[in-house]
Amino acid sequence: MPSFAEWISQIANGLNLGLLYAMVALGLMLVLGVMEVLNFSHGVLITLGAYFALTIRAKVGYVPALILCPIFVGAVGLFLERVTIRRVYGQDPLFGLLITFGCAMSIEELIRMIWGRVGHTFPAPKLMAGPIDLGFMFYSKYRLFLALLAAFLIFLVWLFLEKTPYGSIIKAGVSDSEMVMALGKDLRRLRTYVFALGAILAGVAGVIAAPIWSIKSTVGNEFLMASFVVVVLGGIGSFWGTVIGGLLVGLSISISVMFLPRFSLIVPYILMAVVILIKPRGIMGEKSLLE
Amino acid sequence: MVFVLFIFLPWIFPLFGGYTHLATEVLIWSIFVLGFNLVLGYTGLPSFGHGAYFGVGAYVIGLVQFHLFRGLWIPLLMGTLAGGLAGAIVGIFLAKKRGIYFALLTIAFSQLSYFVAFRWDSVTGGEDGLTGIDRIPLQIPGLISVDLVDPLKFYFFVYVIFVVSTILIWMMVHSPFGRVLTAIKQNETRARCLGYNTALYKWAVFTLSGVFAGLAGSLNSLLINGAFYSSMHWAQSGNVVIMSLLGGGLTNFFGPILGAVVFIVLRDLISTITEHWMLIYGLLWVFILIFMPEGILGILTKKRVRMSLRGLVEKTQPVPEKQG
Repeated sequence: MPSFAEWISQIANGLNLGLLYAMVALGLMLVLGVMEVLNFSHGVLITLGAYFALTIRAKVGYVPALILCPIFVGAVGLFLERVTIRRVYGQDPLFGLLITFGCAMSIEELIRMIWGRVGHTFPAPKLMAGPIDLGFMFYSKYRLFLALLAAFLIFLVWLFLEKTPYGSIIKAGVSDSEMVMALGKDLRRLRTYVFALGAILAGVAGVIAAPIWSIKSTVGNEFLMASFVVVVLGGIGSFWGTVIGGLLVGLSISISVMFLPRFSLIVPYILMAVVILIKPRGIMGEKSLLE
Repeated sequence: MVFVLFIFLPWIFPLFGGYTHLATEVLIWSIFVLGFNLVLGYTGLPSFGHGAYFGVGAYVIGLVQFHLFRGLWIPLLMGTLAGGLAGAIVGIFLAKKRGIYFALLTIAFSQLSYFVAFRWDSVTGGEDGLTGIDRIPLQIPGLISVDLVDPLKFYFFVYVIFVVSTILIWMMVHSPFGRVLTAIKQNETRARCLGYNTALYKWAVFTLSGVFAGLAGSLNSLLINGAFYSSMHWAQSGNVVIMSLLGGGLTNFFGPILGAVVFIVLRDLISTITEHWMLIYGLLWVFILIFMPEGILGILTKKRVRMSLRGLVEKTQPVPEKQG
């Protein structure tokens, strides 16, 4: 059996990873809900965030990079939405998935052409390197920062969804986009904003994940696949479902790694299969038009 | 016509700088995509994880050959059935789903199989894959023995399987079973109200397409003498979808075959010119989806894909009010 200290640190790692997954999956889920597009390019936007950070940090330092990169990734997201995804609205949902898949392939190759095939390391900023003494245990300063930032951004998304008029429109769009249009809201613009929001969250994830995962051209795909599971697990269209799903996936990986190190990545999928056998729409999922 | 043309493929391909191996690949993928199109084109279910069943077939033929029975037919049969079994298991989760949710689950399950193949290296060889799968001679004792190691003979072996599979799938599509599938595509609720157990039909068609994927995967293992986890990657699942769309699988029975031919030849040509095939591949996707979703055959026969796709999502269905 793993020791008590191991348990604590793995649970902390799991929460950490879970918050990051939840943040990434929130972007995916909102785009899925409002646009009815399963955004396959979400992963490559994360990768792009990491590579932007690599270049920008070398020029202006870490903190400006942390702010600038998500904005740039958001701009790329806007461009993608304008040029490609907008053309397949209202068609079969498969088309949105496929067109973002095509974009993901091209951008991934572009990344390899620009930054090369070899991976890069991306050390944590000096201020946050090394462990911190929490009284009962030592923990990586950077991971603590990552968790706090992810939690803060998730909180911001919650504020945005619950406390602003845009949030209500988005939530309404998740449940029935045609009704939103019928009520006179500009759904086109809403979709563009939601896509940009998703891209910004992906960009942040790319920057803050870089020191832990290091930077390679496929780094975002791992997050993409994990967030698919998170969305299925939590239920499409549910904010809290996605957050809980993210934490469950993170915890299940980090706890199972102590017992079955080789198969820890498989555990979330088994968890997902069990959950949808019991609750076909996920933990907090409700009936929607996407089924 | 397709059958006649494919007999001569090993001689047509060298004219464009191809070779027999490539022609065999076309046949194998044609089987795969035709089976896949039962799900996508005929039932209207967007599966994005068929690489998994291809991969299961690919591994199982090798494992059976190594550990159970060294022969041609039995491992091939086991690989095929294993693909079907994997499809049947995943199908249980999928039977009541449709649209994007269906796609999401197929992706998740294919990713699961990918991780299993990658990590369970005592069985699958992990990163190195499973190598040394042999093409054992085709024998009828006392009568004939065909040495399948010869590329051309192996081509014709696959060709016969391809013809049989195509006829089977053709018969399936034009049977009452196939008509129920089309009815599900057009309006699942209506089909259900007419008394059809649509979930069972969806499960059955998914399983069947798994069988053909398993068959194709097994044949591919024989072709490349090995099985590798990369065949379960989601990019592989994407290839099947694009082949189906490119040729016009949504509008024509033979679309998937044409798609497989064009895709594989194009990939071969482009990768000899540039190493950045992925870039062109991605742009090709976007181009096809925006400008020619009805595929090559669809354009030639002037069928509109929008019409055939309308039935996929029922937008008119009332949705219960959401709380909170």
